[in-house]
Amino acid sequence: MNKKIISLFFLLVLMVSIAFTYIYFNQIETDERQYDSSGKTVSDEDIANEIDDMFIEEDDEIEIGEMV
Amino acid sequence: MKKISTLLILLMMLISISSLSLADEAGENNEEEQEDIDSETEKEIEIMNNSLGAEIRLLQLEKALLRNILKGEMAVQVLIGLEYNTADLESILSDMKILLEEVRTANASSNESVQIFISLKNESRNLTTQFRETIKELLDDETLREIRLRIREMVSEQVQNLNKYIRNRIRQFNFNQLYRLYGIVGEASSSFVNDYFNGTLSLNETKLQLCKIINQMTKEKRFQIFSEIKSENLRRQIHAHDYLEHMGDKGKQKGNGKGQH
Repeated sequence: MNKKIISLFFLLVLMVSIAFTYIYFNQIETDERQYDSSGKTVSDEDIANEIDDMFIEEDDEIEIGEMV
Repeated sequence: MKKISTLLILLMMLISISSLSLADEAGENNEEEQEDIDSETEKEIEIMNNSLGAEIRLLQLEKALLRNILKGEMAVQVLIGLEYNTADLESILSDMKILLEEVRTANASSNESVQIFISLKNESRNLTTQFRETIKELLDDETLREIRLRIREMVSEQVQNLNKYIRNRIRQFNFNQLYRLYGIVGEASSSFVNDYFNGTLSLNETKLQLCKIINQMTKEKRFQIFSEIKSENLRRQIHAHDYLEHMGDKGKQKGNGKGQH
């Protein structure tokens, strides 16, 4: 009886750890994509990057490949 | 017996969890590959939500195609001089010329301008690859290198004029964006905007001046401006992404339809 309980306990621990690992790795990826707005502070670089995205460089070109 | 069945159930649960995680990973990999292929075009169609942006992209495609046609013609002339059979290459060039006319007559104000642009760009890319592969079969590496060097020096008045025109249209596009940006910032547009349009101030310098104005504002105001610009950029990016996905789904449906017939 004791052995049964111990094996079930270990399996439970294993399952919980797998579940936590899975959640942890997914969480990291989600965090990378999110912007932390809790402090309501933005760096100069963040603003400059967003401004850059609004414009097209004058020498911008479309690539269709080389002929030779 | 009960013990074994409990263990079996637990094992099955474990396997299902791990397979779920693996399936998720595989899906992500496929998505990443797809994103790599389409990211360039996705970025290009982001500005096509207005007719000026669509016009710029079509003009840029026209320039790329025209330049390739001229380079191709030059290469064919060299090959004719070396007494090669250039029939296949000339046939590809005439297809490219027909395509160039299609690009020139494409309506930038049309609701389908994005779809038209993507399809014309893909065709241009395919014909260019076709030409490159055909000429590669005809010549050895040394001759190819020589031709590559000769056509690299090609100067065309037609391409230069088109280039100037595109630069003006891009300047107009950026000028409009600067006005919108000043609207978001809540400041009356400064002389920098006009200086940029007149060509006395570069785009980078104009952006720098604008950043300076924003950086002098309060933390809250900066955050508000940042949020507005970011949400507008995101809206544009999502729209472009959705459009490509929608086109991809349509393509798949067509493919499936063909398979069923």
